Amino acid sequence: MSASTTVALVGVGGQGILLASVLLANAALAEGYAVKASEVKGMAQRGGSVLASVRFGRQIFSPIGPRADVVIATELLEGRRALDLLRRDGAVVSATTRLAPGVVLRGERTYPDDLHAAALARGLHVLLVDAEELARQAGTLRAANVALLGAASTVLPLSEEAWHVALERILPERILQINRRAFDLGRDAVRRDAVTAEEVWE
Amino acid sequence: MAHGAVHAGLGFACGYPGTPSTEVLETLASLGAGSHAALQAQWCINEKVALETGIGAALAGKRTLVTMKHVGLNVAADPFMTLTLTGVNAGLVVLSADDPGMHSSQNEQDNRAYAKFAKVPLLEPSDSQEAYDFLAEALALSEEFDTPVVLRTTTRVAHARGTVLERPPIAVPQRDFQRDIAKYVMVPGYARARNRRALERLSRLRARAETTPLNFIEAGTADYGIITSGVAYQYAREAFPKAWFLKLGMSFPLPQEKVAALYASVSKVAVVEELDPFLEEQVRALGVPVIGKEFIPADGELNQEIVHEALAAVFDAPTAHRQRRRPVPLPQLKAQTPAPAADLPVRPPVLCAGCPHRAVFAMLRKRKVVAMGDIGCYTLGALEPLLALDTCLNMGASVGMMAGMNAALGRKAAVAVIGDSTFFHSGVSALIDARYNESDGLVIVLDNRTTAMTGHQGHPGTGVHLDRSQGPDLDIERLCAGIGVRCQTVDAFDTAAVEAALKDELAAPGLGVLVARAPCVLQAKPSGVRVVVDAERCTLCGLCLDLGCPALAVDSHSVRITDECTGCGVCVAVCKRGALKVAEVVSGEERHSGDAS
Repeated sequence: MSASTTVALVGVGGQGILLASVLLANAALAEGYAVKASEVKGMAQRGGSVLASVRFGRQIFSPIGPRADVVIATELLEGRRALDLLRRDGAVVSATTRLAPGVVLRGERTYPDDLHAAALARGLHVLLVDAEELARQAGTLRAANVALLGAASTVLPLSEEAWHVALERILPERILQINRRAFDLGRDAVRRDAVTAEEVWE
Repeated sequence: MAHGAVHAGLGFACGYPGTPSTEVLETLASLGAGSHAALQAQWCINEKVALETGIGAALAGKRTLVTMKHVGLNVAADPFMTLTLTGVNAGLVVLSADDPGMHSSQNEQDNRAYAKFAKVPLLEPSDSQEAYDFLAEALALSEEFDTPVVLRTTTRVAHARGTVLERPPIAVPQRDFQRDIAKYVMVPGYARARNRRALERLSRLRARAETTPLNFIEAGTADYGIITSGVAYQYAREAFPKAWFLKLGMSFPLPQEKVAALYASVSKVAVVEELDPFLEEQVRALGVPVIGKEFIPADGELNQEIVHEALAAVFDAPTAHRQRRRPVPLPQLKAQTPAPAADLPVRPPVLCAGCPHRAVFAMLRKRKVVAMGDIGCYTLGALEPLLALDTCLNMGASVGMMAGMNAALGRKAAVAVIGDSTFFHSGVSALIDARYNESDGLVIVLDNRTTAMTGHQGHPGTGVHLDRSQGPDLDIERLCAGIGVRCQTVDAFDTAAVEAALKDELAAPGLGVLVARAPCVLQAKPSGVRVVVDAERCTLCGLCLDLGCPALAVDSHSVRITDECTGCGVCVAVCKRGALKVAEVVSGEERHSGDAS
């Protein structure tokens, strides 16, 4: 890992991207890194694409990075779109959630299903996670973003303890346990799924 | 910034919501500020009234913060440009949240020009720590020099997260208002004297710009230097770690001696700034060569990569021997080359499933009228596939533009489509003007009982305050009665009523107002119903799909209703085959997308 790590979090408005970016930023803080983060909201809220960026390292100046080391995507098409943001050899960790945008709903375009192939063709590491299923197992679909973070945590230079410190610091008590469970399920899913994990760590 | 202001003894805050400025007042409310709290904070009807209210509070002796987005300062420019003459008594900071790249704005004007225009100090924080610290600096500077101070942020400072070291809060005693007619009554005779004071103040501010710790030189190891301010500093610092820097926290007035000191240290100097060549032109005016906007784009956001690509070759090139006698030509302003978008289905923001605006757009589209649009969620009605609006210029513009077009054509060619919050912001005065000038037209107020786009703030129509306390609400129908304009209200979801009212109004002579009312779906109770499809009847004609509702999708032989459906029934009304109907929800399944917050 270079002197700094840049993570782009992408998805669709309402999927909990901003909360995920706050959790990541706090995990990096707990690890002792300098952290800066930035996000674009406003028009993005009404079901549009959302992009947040988190950068951490020993010293960070810019809050955004033109090239991300890791993309975390809560939705497949947005993950596909974000491949352009990745540096060579970067990794994309995407939920398998599919949310069809208007042009697909109306039948004007087909939903592109080539995230995995496109990422491999570019020499990127790719990790697909059924975050919604893991969240359902944890107890609520709403924790899908945290389950995804659990999976993504396996490719980020942050300790498991740092992540749990962040969860505890940010989440209110009443949803903490369920989100801890979702995080652990996400983290364990990667370890169990040897094929995908190998792709990331090769 | 809210924390920074509170710790610096803030006594009053107000503004009008607008991305990326909204969160400052909302954070103040979360810290206990409110209509009746010790720290008073409130939303105002528009930015002009907000600034005027803030001026009153500052004159009364309370340290004051007024927040708005960049275009808001256009609305507030009138009081702002004369406030520079009267001065402020207690500190008054105007927060201008600019939006380079237009993430959620109609333009990307560079509001640093306003500080120069008004001859007032300009502070530009470059990260979260400075955003916090600069509030205290700005309030103190405002009091010391008896001037409003512009605190200008951009999206990457306003919507950024970073670690912030808090300073010990200070207590600021409330100042008294001293009657001083020659200072506060800007009739020409008094204003001339105050103008001379403002010019004299400007020269004192120039001296301060040289000594303030907000402006500093960072020594480098390379033979080139960079003058920069705001978040552009962070990009340049990362792109060129060996460069010398003149980092300007107080970026107007320009500290000329510091600029000269940088020039004495290196052989090449560049200015790195987002948008206009604001600093560059002032450096250029000192008569020195400078590298700037002929290489660095004058539009959109920068980042470390853009800055590096723009300047690396220029810095590496051997130093050109400049002919000092010939004037250096002004640079052509360079624009960014947008990256070619991958050929993927786009995902623009859309009106939500169950949005009360959709029915009005569906019915309006059937009419052959020009629809003058305005600013809010409903601006999305101009996008595919609704295509229901023809213009969007600025807050409140729809009403005047409608009146002008109808006057020019001598018939009811145009209608205005305006949201409730925008109507109060600046539509009302245009409506009064339309009545006064006997204009022809129809003003359709999409009254969803909130300021939805910026996150559901209250406004005079709902009476809901910043701190969510309930104040008196204002009835649009009675307001129109007072103005003398006929007004009727329909349920926005009652498509038949909307259609009938549109038909009546477009046929009626003169000026009318049609209020289409239904609460924003994001604030409405779950309906307990949804639309079901009779696949036998559906021919996939596409009429319902043209509504652009995210709850309607194409399936193999018929349309399909997604989990987002709220059963609002607008698609049922436009379907000519009787293939759609509203039914009780059978399963209590969890909704599809979730926010874990």
